[in-house]
Amino acid sequence: MTRMQRGARGAAAAVFLIIVFVVVPLAIGEAHRADLYYTLSSVALLSIASAGVWLTFYIGRINIGQGAFSLVGGYVSAILVTTYGVSFWLSLPIAGLFCALASVFIGLPILRLRGVYFAMVTLVLTEVARLSALALSITHGARGVTDIPAPGAIRLFGLTIVPAFNTFAERNAAYYFLSVTLMVLCFGGLWRLVNSRIGRLFAALRQNEDLASSMGLNVPALRILAYAISSFLGGVGGAIFAAIAQSIYPSSFTVTDSVNFMLNCFLGGLGYVFGPMLGTLVLYFGWDLLFSTGEYQLLIYSGVMILLILLLPNGLLSLRLPTRRGG
Amino acid sequence: MSPILQVKNLTKRYGGLTAVNDVSFDVEPNEILSIIGPNGAGKSTIFKLISSFVAPTRGKVTFNGEVISGLAPHTVARKGVVRTFQETTIFKGMTARDSVIVAHHLRSRASLFGFYFGSARARRDEEEFGRSSDEILDFLGLGAVKYETASNLPQGHLRALGIAIGLAANPKVLLLDEPFAGMNADETSRAVQMVRAVRGRGVTLLLVEHDMAAVMKISDRIVVINFGVKIAEGTPAQIRADEKVIEAYLGVEDETIGL
Amino acid sequence: MEQVIANGLYLGAQYALIALGLTLIFALMNVLNFAHGQMYVIGGFVTYEVYGLLHLPFVVALIASALTLAVIGGLIERFLFRTVIKRSEREESTMLLAAGVAYFLDAAILLLFGAKQRGVHKIVNGVLILDNLILPWDRIVVAGLAIVFIVAFILMMQFTKPGRAMRALAQDRVAAQLMGVPVEFYGLIGFALGAMLAGLVGGLLVTITGVNSGMGGPISIKAFMMVMIGGAGVVGGAIAGGFILGMLESVGLTVLQAYGDITYLVIFVALMIFLAVRPNGLMGKPWG
Repeated sequence: MTRMQRGARGAAAAVFLIIVFVVVPLAIGEAHRADLYYTLSSVALLSIASAGVWLTFYIGRINIGQGAFSLVGGYVSAILVTTYGVSFWLSLPIAGLFCALASVFIGLPILRLRGVYFAMVTLVLTEVARLSALALSITHGARGVTDIPAPGAIRLFGLTIVPAFNTFAERNAAYYFLSVTLMVLCFGGLWRLVNSRIGRLFAALRQNEDLASSMGLNVPALRILAYAISSFLGGVGGAIFAAIAQSIYPSSFTVTDSVNFMLNCFLGGLGYVFGPMLGTLVLYFGWDLLFSTGEYQLLIYSGVMILLILLLPNGLLSLRLPTRRGG
Repeated sequence: MSPILQVKNLTKRYGGLTAVNDVSFDVEPNEILSIIGPNGAGKSTIFKLISSFVAPTRGKVTFNGEVISGLAPHTVARKGVVRTFQETTIFKGMTARDSVIVAHHLRSRASLFGFYFGSARARRDEEEFGRSSDEILDFLGLGAVKYETASNLPQGHLRALGIAIGLAANPKVLLLDEPFAGMNADETSRAVQMVRAVRGRGVTLLLVEHDMAAVMKISDRIVVINFGVKIAEGTPAQIRADEKVIEAYLGVEDETIGL
Repeated sequence: MEQVIANGLYLGAQYALIALGLTLIFALMNVLNFAHGQMYVIGGFVTYEVYGLLHLPFVVALIASALTLAVIGGLIERFLFRTVIKRSEREESTMLLAAGVAYFLDAAILLLFGAKQRGVHKIVNGVLILDNLILPWDRIVVAGLAIVFIVAFILMMQFTKPGRAMRALAQDRVAAQLMGVPVEFYGLIGFALGAMLAGLVGGLLVTITGVNSGMGGPISIKAFMMVMIGGAGVVGGAIAGGFILGMLESVGLTVLQAYGDITYLVIFVALMIFLAVRPNGLMGKPWG
C-alpha cells in the first residue's frame, strides 16, 4: 500500500470518527431528536453482531445462528448484573467469552458441514437458544430478566473515567457513545484481522480448504477460531442490547434476527469489512421508515428486499468500482 | 540409506470397489519415483493415501519410520510430506506471490497473536517469507508474474505455481500430481528441468503421471499400478522391458508410451 | 403407549409429505425453500375459504389449495429464483431470496387472511376404537390421504417421464442437459410440485389443527429438521425424516410432559448431536 493510499485511509477513518462522535451528537442536539440516540445505538450493536456473521462468511460458511449467541450473551450479562451484582463492564467481556467458548463446542462438530447444511444447523441453533431460555430456571423462563440497572461508573485509581449511566441527563446519549465506541473497536479490530496474516489464512481456507490443508494449515482449528470470534461479537452485541433495553426475554433474538444479521452483511457486500455496518444502517432505517405504512410494512420491506436481491445479487457495495479489495 | 517413505500393504476399499489393493513400495531419499498406470488404476488414490487426505482400509504409510497414514492432512504436511493437486488447484482470488507467502505459514515462528498485533517476530517472518517466496517464484520462472492474480495465469504457469506453493511448505517429500498433463513437448522439457532442479534442492519427489516419455526421462525408479495392484517396480530400463507392463498398456500406440 | 405410536404415525405421514416438498425443491435447485411453511399456511387458508366458508366439497378445496400453491411456486421459480441463480456467484443470494420470499408471503398472508386462528369442520366424524386405542376417523382419513399422495409422488418420480427427468436433473444438472432434458422447464415443475405438496398438507391439516398466519416460520423450521434428519435431496430420507420427527414429537410430548415445554429443546439437541456424527443425515447426498 502506497503512502498516499495509507494517508487517504487514515483521513477517511478520521472523518468517520468525527462524524460519529461529534457531528451526530451535535446534530441530534440541534434537531432535538434525542430518540435517534436509541435508534443509532441499536444500529451499532446490531452491526457488531452482523460483523460476526461477516467473519463466518469470510471463512466460507453461511451463518444463520448469530441470534443464538446474541441471546446467550444478553442473558449472561443480564444474569451476572442482576443476580450476582457483577458490574456491567465486567459482564460484557465475560458474555463474549462465554459465547466464544460455547461456540468452540458447537463448532467442533458442525464446522465440517458446508453450504446449505451448515446454514440449516445454525438455523436450528437460534431456536435451541430461545427454547433453552424458556426452559431453564436461571433465565426465569418466559418472564425474562428485567429491571437490569444501567451500567455503573468505571473508576480507576479514584478517578471516574466513565460516570454511572443514570447520572446522565440524556441517558440514551450515554448508550449511544457506548455502542458506537464498541462498534468502532469491533470494526477496527476486524479490519486489522482481515489484513493480517491471519486474515490471509482465513481467505486461503475459504478459497480452497484442501490446498490449505496440504500446505499445513490446521483448517479445523482456524475455522473454530473464526467462529469463536464471530460468536464473541454476537455475545457482545447481545450484552449491549440487554443493557440498553434493560431487560431480556427469550424472544429478544429470534430466527428473524439471525436472518437479518445475514441480510445486513449481504446488503453491505460480503467482500467488504465495513459492509455489515452499512447494511445494518440501511436495513434498520429502511424498516423504521416504513413504519408509517402500517400493516404493509413487512410487505413493502420484503418486496424491496426481493427487488434488491434480483438487481444486486452481490450486495449493495458491489455498486462500487471493482478495483478495491478488503474494504 | 533407509527409505524416507514406506508404503506397506496399502489397501483402500470404497464400498464394494477396491481402489488400491495391497500395494507396497519404498521411496529412497532424494530420488524421483514415478507411479504410472492406465487410467483409473488407482494412482491418485495412492497419492491421497500417502498425503493422508484419505485413510487406508488396511496397511500403512510411514515417513522416516513414523506412521503418517490416518493423521490429519495438515499434520502430515507439517511433517514434511506435501502434495500438489491435479487440475491446478489454486487460490483463485490471491496473487501468485501471496499464495506462496501463505504457504510459508508452516515455517513461521511468530504466534497468531503476534501476527495480529504485528509483533517484531511476525514482521520478520513476513519479510523472510516475502524473500523466500520471491526466490522460489524466480526459481520456477514465475518472477515476472508474481503480482498477477492466480486465476489470470495460463496453464503452464499455474502448474509451476502449484509446485511453488508445494515448495514453500518446505517439504521433504513432494507429491506431484500429473505435473506434465496437457503440456506440449517444449513445456514438458521445461517442466522436467524444473522437477530436476527441485530434486537438486534436496527434496524427494513422488510423481503420478501419464506422460510416459517424460516419466522415462526423469525418474530414478518407477512403480506401475494396474487395477489397484502393483504390477512392476524398477528403473526405467527394467520397466521398459517388463512384460506385464507392456501387456497392461497393450493396445496403446507405441508412440504414446514411448517404448 | 400404542396411542403414542398411533399419534406419531399420523403426524409422521403428514410431516413426510411436507418434507418431500422441501427435499424436492432442494434436490432440483439447491435452494432451501424458507417459504415452505408459508406455503403450507396458504394451503390451509385456501381450504378454509373453499371448504369452510364456501362449503364446497373437501376434495374441491384440496384441489384448490394444490393448484394455488402450484401456481405460486411456479411464479416464484420462474421470475425470482431463476433470475437470481443465473446472475449470482454466491449461494447466499438464493438463500436470502428464499428468506425474502418467506417474509413477503408472511406479510401477504396476514393481509389477505387476517390474524385469527381458523379451523374447519372435521371431514369425517366419529372415532374408531381398537382395544385401548382411540383413533379419530378424520385423522385416519387425513393420514391415509397423505400416504396416498406420498405413494403417488414416488410412483410419479419413478415411472413417469417428468419424474425421470426430474431425477436426472437432481442427480447431475449438466449431464441431464447433455441428455436433452429441458432443465429449466423441469426446475419450474419441480418447484411448483414441491410447493403444491406443502399446500396439500396445509389443506389436509387445517381440518385437524386449524391454521393461523403465524405458523409459517415454525413449520419451515420443522421441515428443515426433517430434511436434516433424513438427509437432504433424497426422497427416502425425507419420508424417514418426516416419520421420525412425527414419532419424536409424539413420544416427547407425552413422556416429557412432566418437565415442561422441553420436548423441542431435547429434539434439537439430539439432532445436533446426531448431525455431528452423521452430518448428511440418514441418507443424504454427501455435502461438506
